[in-house]
Formats: sequence, C-alpha cells, structure tokens
Amino acid sequence: MHNDQNRMFWILRAAPHLLLLAAILAAWEGAVATGLITTIMIPRPSAIGGAIVELYVTKGTIYEHFFITLTEAVVGFGIGAAVAIALAVSSSLSENFGRYVSPYAVVLNVTPGIALTPIIIAWFGYGMGSKIALAAVICFFPIFVNTLTGLRQTDEDREELFRSFGASQRQVFMQLRVPAALPLMFAGLKIGLTTALIGAVVAEFAQATAGVGVLMSRFSFSLNMASSLATLLSMTLIGLLLFYTMEFLDDRIVFWRREARMAAVSRARARAWKSGAAH
Amino acid sequence: MTDNVKATSQPKTGQMVIHFTIFLALILSWELGAQMGWLDKLFFPAPSAILTSFWRIYVSQGNIWFHLYISLGLVFAGFTAGSILGVGLGAVVGMNATVRRFLQPYVIVLEATPRIAVAPLLIAALGFGATSKIAIIMLVCFFAPFINTLSGVINVDRDRFELMRSLGASKIQVLRKLVLPEAVPVIMAGERLALTSALSGVLVAEFIQRDQGIGTLILTYTRNLNMASAFACIFTLTLIGFLIFKGMERLDHRIAYWKNEAGLRRVGAKRARAWAAEQGGLARA
Repeated sequence: MHNDQNRMFWILRAAPHLLLLAAILAAWEGAVATGLITTIMIPRPSAIGGAIVELYVTKGTIYEHFFITLTEAVVGFGIGAAVAIALAVSSSLSENFGRYVSPYAVVLNVTPGIALTPIIIAWFGYGMGSKIALAAVICFFPIFVNTLTGLRQTDEDREELFRSFGASQRQVFMQLRVPAALPLMFAGLKIGLTTALIGAVVAEFAQATAGVGVLMSRFSFSLNMASSLATLLSMTLIGLLLFYTMEFLDDRIVFWRREARMAAVSRARARAWKSGAAH
Repeated sequence: MTDNVKATSQPKTGQMVIHFTIFLALILSWELGAQMGWLDKLFFPAPSAILTSFWRIYVSQGNIWFHLYISLGLVFAGFTAGSILGVGLGAVVGMNATVRRFLQPYVIVLEATPRIAVAPLLIAALGFGATSKIAIIMLVCFFAPFINTLSGVINVDRDRFELMRSLGASKIQVLRKLVLPEAVPVIMAGERLALTSALSGVLVAEFIQRDQGIGTLILTYTRNLNMASAFACIFTLTLIGFLIFKGMERLDHRIAYWKNEAGLRRVGAKRARAWAAEQGGLARA
C-alpha cells in the first residue's frame, strides 16, 4: 500500500520533467526535419538514438573502449589517491615533513596538469600506461589538500578529553583525527575521481589507439556527429558510475553524517551489543 | 598569544635556509644524475639544459612570446565570456524555483560528463581556428561559476530575505543588496576554478588542433624530443598558474572586502571620510 503511494508520487514528480524532455526532443526533431536547422553539425535526436542503439546494442563497439577508459581512470585514481593520502598522513604526523614537502605540492597544483600530457606520453608510451599516469598526476592535488586539511583540523576539547583519559598518540590519531578528516577526504576523493577521468580522456585525445576519447575524436573528425554524441554519453555514464560509487562509499564509511545511515548503524550496534551481553 | 601567531605565520630564517638547502640538493643531484648519465637525458633533461632553453625561447630566439600571446588572449576571451554567462544564468536560475526544478536533471548529467571531452566535437562543428578554441574554453569555464552562483543564491539567509521583502524591497533590490553580497565569496571561488580550467582548456584545444599557442609548442618540442624546451614551457605555465592564483586571491580580497579585517577597515574608513565630507558640506550650506 505504502509502496504504491510512493510509486504514484514518483510518477507525478517525474511526469513534468519527461514531458519537457519529450517536447524539447520533438521540437528539435521537427526543426531539423523541416529544414529550420540545416547544418550537419546538429544531428536529429532520432539519429542520435539510432547511433546509441548501434554503438551499445547491435554492434556493441563501445564496450571495449568503455572498459579501457574506465580502467585507466580507476587505476590512475587509485595510484594518485594512495600517494596523496600517504603524503597527507605523513605531513600531518610530522610537522617538518609537511613544511618541506608543501612547496612542491603547491608548484604541482598551480601547474595545469594537462600541460604534462605530451611529456607523459613520451615517458610512458602510447598505451594505457601514459593515461594512467596522467590521471594519477591530475587527481593527486585535490585529494592531498583535502585530506591534509581534514587531518589538521582539531577539536581542542576533544583532544584534551582523549589525553585526560590517557589515550596514546596513536589512539588520538586513529580514533579522533582520522574520523574527523574523513568527510573532507571523501569530498577530495570525489573531485579527484572526476579529474582522473578527464586526465584519461585528454591523454587519449593526444595519442592513443583505444578508449572512448579515441572513439570520440574519430567520430568527430569524420563528421559523424550522431555517433560522436552517443560516445559522449558513454563518458557521462562513466562519470556517473564513478561518482555514485564514491557517494555510496561515502555514505557507508562516513555514516554519521547521514541521519538514516546513522540510525541504521546504531541499531546494528545495539543488536550486536545485546547479543554480546546475552552470552 | 598574538606574538605567538606572528611567529608561526612568518617563516623563520632557519627554516628558509633548510628550504633552500633541500631545493639546492634536489637540483644538484638532478644535474649530477643527468651529467653522469644515470638519468636518461632524453626524458629527464638536466636543470642547466632547461635554463639554457629558457634563455633560448625567451631571449635569443624569443619564439615563446607569440605563442603565449595567442594562448593567453584565448584564455582571456573564453574565460570572460564563459564566466559572465555562468554567473548570469546561475543568478537567473537560482532566483526562479520552477526553472531550477526543470534544469536540475540536466545539470546533474552535465556535471558528470567530462566537459573537456566535447572538444573534438566543437572543433568539428565550428572548424579549426580561434572560434572553436574560445568555445571550448567557454564551456569549461561556464560550469564552476554557474554552480557556485546557483548555490550562493539558493543558500541566501531566509530571515534576511523575508525582512527585506516585508519592508517592500523589489526583486532587483533583494538581488543587489542581499543575494549578491552574500554570494560573492562563493562566486569568486567558482571564478578561481574557472580561470584554472580555462588554462587547461586552451591547452587541450591546442593539443588537438596543433596549429599555434603554448600547447602546440609543448607538443612540438616533445615530438622533437627537445625535452628541455618542453620543460621550460611547462615551468612557464607553472608561473602563469601561480600568478593567476595570487591575482584571484587579491581580487577576492578586494571584492569581498568584508571577509577580511584589513579590507573592512579600508572601506570603512573611506565611507567614514565620505560621510564626514558630506556632513561638512551640509553644515557649510
């Protein structure tokens, strides 16, 4: 019963959006069909739909490229994030280390990472290695700076409470600093993931044999605009996939920021405690 | 307490010496590694070779100036157009709840798409040359100011808004006196992001078009395995990035003056003087 109401509510909410989208597409289709828009640069929505069906269903050419780009972005992100978090943690643990490393991080930040594309391709070759490297370089800074800022913000009162209960350095770090830093760190990770994808795609534009970036430029320069837009859609899909995966992890790990998740986790803990007490 | 703060914010001479020593040690070991052949010179040119390249591209050959001029001109044009469009649309969309509701799904989809990926499409559609480059820069510049203006406008203080409305302020007055001043710091943050991405945008456009500009120069030098000159170009971009960063910071301080102590005092004093002059004028009259 409740579910049915919920569904009705969603249909009612989505209906105006869908109507608007349909109206825009119809007007667009009509404008091209009647010759109001004559340029070949603006394909009909139906042509884009046809290209999507061809790329994703009948020929399925997109998948190989899709997974290559996805892998490049994710692996690059993993490397960049690991280095960034390791450096941020070391910088927060040792004031000296942080002080003498930070100028180089700043230099790396103000250099547009994209500018390194040709050099990174010369270093790592035309294959996936150079794309992974560029993704890692580009996503490094937002993760580093957010993690470091998170680890450095301290609540004096809480720290004093920890100390007065005799907590060790390690306990203060693991149980106070790290949890306090997680929300900011995840914000940095989300930005980093998007930039890693940009890095992978730009490196593919510059020089590559496979990946959605290659597909995109190939279609564009053969003036196959419908397929080009259909390929663009696959990048949106990768972006959404990466973003929502991160959002999901954020929701699970930093559960205390969301009311509902917090309630669920505390219920689970209460159950665990009760069953533990019963033994 | 204040002395303490001052001491930590001003780097001590001892620290500066260590900073300098580390830097020098890095450069020297790099140079040594390159001279002794431990590092592949083709990939890691010696610092001295990079310095020589700096001299060549800036002074003796001076070929970088033309490319810098082209690229920075495009960045300026694209950034100005894109960010004005972003702030304007952001304000319009933010003020109108219906428009906001209908635009939201598209904004989410666009935000997940790497905008720079549209570059080949725009080049194919608009042709080679400055037009498509400016269009690419506009596109990458548009989003950050748009989103930030939008959120700045939406997150306006409800109580203040209602107070202004109940005192009979018009929509324009609300926008000018309440919404914009509150949103300015957020908008400026968006502009800063936009200017940085404009620099990346022009590079990508030039990598693809390969005709002129600093991106093409880097690409050409790398293709010819003239790594020292490529590094000199990249360090030039580092400098430009640094200047942009500092410049935007200064601008932010000037425009959103109420966010920092010095700015507040400066503008307050100016207003007090103006007020005093006006009072004096009235008294004389």
